[in-house]
Amino acid sequence: MSMRPYSVLSGLIAACGLLFSVNASAANEQPFDWLARMGAAVQSTSYEGTVIRIQGGEAEALKVVHTVKDGVVWEKVVAQEGNGLEIIRVGNEVHCILPDRKSVLVEEWDDQSTLFSTLPSSDIRFGNEYDVAIVREDRVAGRETLLLAIRPHDGYRYGHRLWLDTETGFPLQTQLIDEAGSAIEQVKFADIRLNHDIAPSALAPSYSTEHFTWLRQSGGHATSAIETNWSSDELPAGFEAVSTHEESMQGGEQMVTHILFSDGLANVSVFVAPAHAKNVEGAARVGGSNSYTTRQGNHDVTAIGGVPAITVRQIATSMQLR
Amino acid sequence: MNDAIRMQLSAYVDGELPENEAELLLRRITQDAELRQEFAEYLALGRLLRGEPGVAAADRLHERVIAGLDDTQEESAVATKTPGAATAIKPLAGIAVAASVALVAIFVLQQGNLAPQEGPAQVAETEEAPVVPDLDAVAQQRAYFLNHAEASSRFGANGINSRLVTLRFSEEVAAESDSDTSVDEQDEELEEQSTQP
Repeated sequence: MSMRPYSVLSGLIAACGLLFSVNASAANEQPFDWLARMGAAVQSTSYEGTVIRIQGGEAEALKVVHTVKDGVVWEKVVAQEGNGLEIIRVGNEVHCILPDRKSVLVEEWDDQSTLFSTLPSSDIRFGNEYDVAIVREDRVAGRETLLLAIRPHDGYRYGHRLWLDTETGFPLQTQLIDEAGSAIEQVKFADIRLNHDIAPSALAPSYSTEHFTWLRQSGGHATSAIETNWSSDELPAGFEAVSTHEESMQGGEQMVTHILFSDGLANVSVFVAPAHAKNVEGAARVGGSNSYTTRQGNHDVTAIGGVPAITVRQIATSMQLR
Repeated sequence: MNDAIRMQLSAYVDGELPENEAELLLRRITQDAELRQEFAEYLALGRLLRGEPGVAAADRLHERVIAGLDDTQEESAVATKTPGAATAIKPLAGIAVAASVALVAIFVLQQGNLAPQEGPAQVAETEEAPVVPDLDAVAQQRAYFLNHAEASSRFGANGINSRLVTLRFSEEVAAESDSDTSVDEQDEELEEQSTQP
């Protein structure tokens, strides 16, 4: 994928033109107004740029192109190192191109998993579990931004920092903030071009996949809504069960009870399964998520989610069979 | 790589590089694989020196600067629950966007990082003897994570993230299907492929 050269002159002109509007809008708009602008921007903005992700002392660069044409999402993400993985999405069909294996994995995304149409079904409880505030103005990727902070009221959930482009509301940088106030995950555009015409070639595969092996993913796993006698009287404030299912695990026949708890922003799943042959109690970390497993009689109870370790531990250990 | 770039990297990791130079450096990092590797090593080194396992040095330093500003900046318009609060739900789906474009990296960086942290079943971690996770437990945790991500996506939390995670796992499964061949055999295959026209 080729990148057009960055225009220093046009950037300077745009930056100068923004100086007045930035200060005026930042002073007058409330945090919720900016969140609303971000919501609109991420659904309608076309962009092409380079993202740097920093997590756990590792950094990786990704080229990304994204646009929406006639309501259809077109997106291409290219890892800049390693095996050269490319992910290309057109509407509901996603191609994961593995050039080193000469393979293409094809997966269908249903309507619910489209990029922007899936929204939380419950309120984010600003004022109860979280506050949102405008912190200051800043610059990211050469553009003026406004830093918004979403701060949790306690140590049971993470905070977020969002650097929103002041012209469009598009998030140019995000940080996930842990209970100690440190960024545990950071995503930042190093360069970006917003709302310009995306050439069809920019969304095409970089490789000829004609002789690649094409593999289609199977259609998910069995799941059905159920009632359960598993519950907790000591959930962290704000968390409540939003769904309960019996479902199979990926790659296995075992059926488990899966209860999803949410505070409106953070989600935690609890899985109740027949006790493992080995004692698997304890904490673990999966990506940016924490999990905790405890044994309750003949069952192993595992809580997992993008929340602090203390949260999954409290939820897992407080689950009881009524 | 010359010493000037190394000094810039070091200054950036220490949070001492001016903003304008930092922007240029970041842009250069995106275009230079060797520089990215060096950057990652600097981050890791900084982390070790500070005894901060598991936390990116750059993140912490950046946060330190931000935190100082946070304390002094006015917390203007701190929001409490208002009639308009519910409308803020929709925008937050946008958090997924910037995350989603980089999510591809998550399991590249973290495959194999699924290491137990603590608990009665875990072996005490020492510098000399890294913890070897139970493979069944690892597989189960991954399955749980997949199902959690899928369920979360139904409630609007990082929908695309969970789908990309699925793809990453798919890639991993594809890799595991080749695991019957030895590392040497795989290397030989790669060499053969690279010599083919």
